[in-house]
Amino acid sequence: MKKRFLSIALVSIMVTAAISGCGNPEVANDTPVTEAPSSDNSGGEAADNNAAADAVQNLINATTDPVDLTVWASEEDQEFTQGVLEDFKALYPDVTFNITLGAESESTAKDTVLSDVEAAADVYTFAHDQINDLVNAGALQEVQATYTYDVATANVETSVEAASVGGKLYAYPMTADNGYFMFYDSSVIKDPSNLEAMIEDAKAAGKKIAIQFNNGWYLYSFFKAVGLEATLNDDGKTNTCTWNEAGGTDVCQAILDAVATGAVVNMDDGTTVTGIKDGTVCAAVNGIWNAQVAADAWGENYQAAKLPTMHIGDKDCQLSSYSGFKLVGVNPHTKNMGWSMLLAEYLTSEEVQTERFEARNLGPSNINAAASDAVKNDKAISALAAQAPYSTPQVIGGNYWSPAETLGQILASGNPDNTDLQKLLDTAVEGINAPVSE
Amino acid sequence: MVNYRYYQHKHKPKKQRRKLSYSPKASKIPKEPRVNPIVAFFKELGECLSNGSLFIKLSTVFMGLGHIYNCQFIKGLLVFGVQALYIVYMIFGAAPNLAKFSTLGTVKREAIFDPITMQNTVNDYDNSFTILLGSVCALFITFLFFLFWASNIKSMYETQKLIESRKHVNTFREDFKEILGNKFHVTLLTFPVIGVILMNIIPILILVAVAFTNYDQNHLPPSELFTWVGFRNFVKLFTQTTTSSFGYAFRKILEWTFLWAFFATVSNFILGHLIALLINSKLIKIKRFWRTLFIVTIAVPQFVTLLLVRNFFADSGLFNSICSNIGLTAFLQNIGLVSKNISYIPFLTSPGWAKFMIVLINIWVGIPYQILISTGILLNIPRDQIEAAMIDRASPYQIFKNVTMPYVMFVEGPTLVTDFVRNINNFNIIYLLTQDVYVTTDQALANSHGKEVDLLVTWLFRLTNEYYDYKMASVIGVIVFSICSVFTILSFSRIVAGEREEVFM
Amino acid sequence: MKTKKLILSILLHLLLAVITFIWIIPIIWLVVTAFSGYKGIDISHFFPETWSLKNFGTILFEPDSVVQYVTWFKNTFIIAIFTCIISTVFIFMVGYAFSCMRFSGRKQLMVFCVVLNMFPGVLSMIAVYFVLKSLGLTNSHIGMIIVYSAGSGLGYLIVKGFMDTIPISLRESARLEGANELQIMLSIIIPICKPIIVYQVISSFLVPWGDFVLAKLMLNSGLSKDWTIAIGLYNMLDKSLINKYFSIFCAGGLLVSIPISILFVLMQKFYIEGVSGGATKG
Repeated sequence: MKKRFLSIALVSIMVTAAISGCGNPEVANDTPVTEAPSSDNSGGEAADNNAAADAVQNLINATTDPVDLTVWASEEDQEFTQGVLEDFKALYPDVTFNITLGAESESTAKDTVLSDVEAAADVYTFAHDQINDLVNAGALQEVQATYTYDVATANVETSVEAASVGGKLYAYPMTADNGYFMFYDSSVIKDPSNLEAMIEDAKAAGKKIAIQFNNGWYLYSFFKAVGLEATLNDDGKTNTCTWNEAGGTDVCQAILDAVATGAVVNMDDGTTVTGIKDGTVCAAVNGIWNAQVAADAWGENYQAAKLPTMHIGDKDCQLSSYSGFKLVGVNPHTKNMGWSMLLAEYLTSEEVQTERFEARNLGPSNINAAASDAVKNDKAISALAAQAPYSTPQVIGGNYWSPAETLGQILASGNPDNTDLQKLLDTAVEGINAPVSE
Repeated sequence: MVNYRYYQHKHKPKKQRRKLSYSPKASKIPKEPRVNPIVAFFKELGECLSNGSLFIKLSTVFMGLGHIYNCQFIKGLLVFGVQALYIVYMIFGAAPNLAKFSTLGTVKREAIFDPITMQNTVNDYDNSFTILLGSVCALFITFLFFLFWASNIKSMYETQKLIESRKHVNTFREDFKEILGNKFHVTLLTFPVIGVILMNIIPILILVAVAFTNYDQNHLPPSELFTWVGFRNFVKLFTQTTTSSFGYAFRKILEWTFLWAFFATVSNFILGHLIALLINSKLIKIKRFWRTLFIVTIAVPQFVTLLLVRNFFADSGLFNSICSNIGLTAFLQNIGLVSKNISYIPFLTSPGWAKFMIVLINIWVGIPYQILISTGILLNIPRDQIEAAMIDRASPYQIFKNVTMPYVMFVEGPTLVTDFVRNINNFNIIYLLTQDVYVTTDQALANSHGKEVDLLVTWLFRLTNEYYDYKMASVIGVIVFSICSVFTILSFSRIVAGEREEVFM
Repeated sequence: MKTKKLILSILLHLLLAVITFIWIIPIIWLVVTAFSGYKGIDISHFFPETWSLKNFGTILFEPDSVVQYVTWFKNTFIIAIFTCIISTVFIFMVGYAFSCMRFSGRKQLMVFCVVLNMFPGVLSMIAVYFVLKSLGLTNSHIGMIIVYSAGSGLGYLIVKGFMDTIPISLRESARLEGANELQIMLSIIIPICKPIIVYQVISSFLVPWGDFVLAKLMLNSGLSKDWTIAIGLYNMLDKSLINKYFSIFCAGGLLVSIPISILFVLMQKFYIEGVSGGATKG
């Protein structure tokens, strides 16, 4: 039985190898474990599970030496992840693990991984906006088979989309809360639904609304609000940005007007937090990573909501946003591929996602875990849910960031040279759409 | 002596004079015609080969034969051993890389995942960077081996001449003793030179090589290959098209780099000396106390103070709070130095202010060092000159102008050039003060990932660290290297090659 | 005349006091923030509202994944000791060879070294990284020691300048007595070079404490227990950490500077002689 199973597998692998060698890797995608045993006389779901269990059992049997794994998780998650790693070890009592946990912020994981992929951790967490660069550099192992749960169906669709490049799954969604929303001090802001009313309230109280214009991640929401796009092309490297088309200058003018009121201020994360703590900031467009600070500072008055509408041109537009996910990736250069994949699956399983929410207040991407009442009652996570219809997973190439950042900076500082707005947009779009390789 | 030579040079044609001051040989024996050292080297080598005995000729292939013929058996065997090592290295270590040097690899990494064993099957792929590194090392070692080979032939020829004229030939034991005697410099220099080759020369050679490849984010080994592209990156750096603003960014950043280096050097030099003069003035008591206060600022590591200062001057930092409390912000807004659209002073976030602040903060960082140097120099001023001036009843100002200043300039003049070059490469200050804080408002610069406050080095660092554009970073690196070399050679050929070091001997 | 001098003297003292005050403001801020009870950056008060020794307690006795201060200190100290020994020895060897020996190609080699020395390591650090990786020395302290000390021979100028001032007759008389170059170097030259040795020891000892760029690239395992002080402190100012760790950063910076400033104050005389000796002799 086992022999036959293996031989079939071998044949299928050789066929896969032959075909994908000819530059048609899609076939490789079509042979996950869950399909392999269909030729094995016993169809249906039971067989799928058997095959997966078989593979894991084979792996356990084949593992005689201690397994060395390195895992990178963010600085804040160290304690929690350490606990999860202990649980993982306990799951496989027959295997000796030496798992080292390193600290690497999700937002900068790419920088460290790409400087030497071979030296990077076997399993690492990262923010999904880096997935394109990581895949292009061959720093992510494609998820061709799953063993303990089905990643594609267990997680919310957008998160699976965010973990995929060109239709192929490259990572395991871990959290679904990495996007931005708005939180505010309800003792100051009475009506969080539109920016103009908020500005009035903030002005009356002499406080500020923090929005990070000089960051492409946030700036996107204003242009997207009037339907202007910035997306990645099919080549996976260059961008298409339409910000300089009709309506673009209105967006710029709206931002300039907002900044000119003095109530809307361009603040980076650090400044925003300081501002919240010392009471100068009464509302912020920001993410869950800073929401806790606001919750602590404002206490009862802490509220979270979707982004407000903004008066752009001659109508009120709902501000859009990027939705964000944290993902777990497996390094293709790992020496223990099997164990890395199992660990990545475990780190993102329903059970661990639920624990993660309980311990760290991070919103799960797993559908079941996200369905719990506790998650639904969390102010920040429900605000993200309210923003969800207006948000898109961020898919953009590397050339987007610098020009967008500069455009935002110019607008946030009130266009000091009084450059023609259309010209500003044209130059920015030129940079964003610039070809990557020549 | 010095004056005399200077006088002599002055009357030579300009070009000639320059050459003279470069060439150590020429400056000692000015009449000897200057020979290109490389030409001389080969000429001598040819002479050895044509006049040498048969065994010397044979030892071009089997090194050490000549020594054995001259009855220097141990030496001969050692030399032959080195050759054998080299050959083994070339065949087993270097050949696989050198074979692929012209293409930098052709087989891309392909991994096939087997869902059942949960393993990747990886083909035997080429890693362009490993090939490049291996080849550069091999070529460099070959170059060193060639030098060894040539010096070996020369030494055999000299031994032959000694034998022919029936003079004493050193035994191995005597040769061995030489390494603590006349050949002591070889002993001394071996390890430092190995270190320099490993950490300086090989990396620089690789940097130069990468400048001619397309090694960037889309060609990152080990998953992708990169290859040679000729001068394309250099062309890109100097041209400005609608899609590439590298030419513009390069010009802008180069301008600021030089401007910065000039201001940073001059401001530190002048202010440092003034403060040192002040501390050392006869009217100031407890000099050691004042000096110690300045030295305390050196003791805190530079990156700590710089990061601290960056937060101090942040847009919503402590200093801005103070300024707005005392009304300075409003005042600056009224006189137009700060835009009315913002409620803070953009110390490190607007181009003009940031440049100004960086120079100021550099003064803050650099002056304690300058004070130490100046103090040392001021203490070294020949007392007799000052005393003589005092006897002549010269005023303090006259003493300063006619004795102190010329001495300081004489001593420190050359180091000004060094400081200038160091400031061109002053990575820490610019990086620590502006990284994550400064956002450029020049869109053309942004499109090539530059900022107004960038020096060439920090731009290069960003290109490698954040955009993995190794090819363009290397081109910039090559240019920085050339600039530094020119300035350094200009300032040092005079000191190193000139006669100054002999004055004390 | 005397009163005029007195007034002038008072004015000069005042001027100097103002200047020094400007110079030590950031240091004062560092000190007071280190003793602050508030963890983030306090932007409205120069002096903290609450004082506390907690920050020092955290860095010394309560290591977590972000703060491993004692381990970092140990790492940096070990690296610094070896860097300092190797660098000083290398610089001396090169300095002696260039100053006291005469051999062909010496001057060209000297210029070449100076040019190489002006080339900042940042430019070619990726290549340095891969050279070390091919030797299997990344993520190791030996690798860091090599990075900091291997090229140190290039900084020979100051030592050479100092040795040039030693009268040649000293060496020649020793030679006549039958001493070889090694003996001359050890018994005659080195004792005279004491101030410049102190200078070299201090300056090479300080290198690992201040460098974070190379260290961050070479020690990239993500394990904070491998880090040096500089990477650790730099990491605390990461956007996600600065609001929790700023005052700890200050406390850490202050603790590093205590041993260094003691070193400086004690060695002030030698250091001045060393710095200016180098400048005088090029």
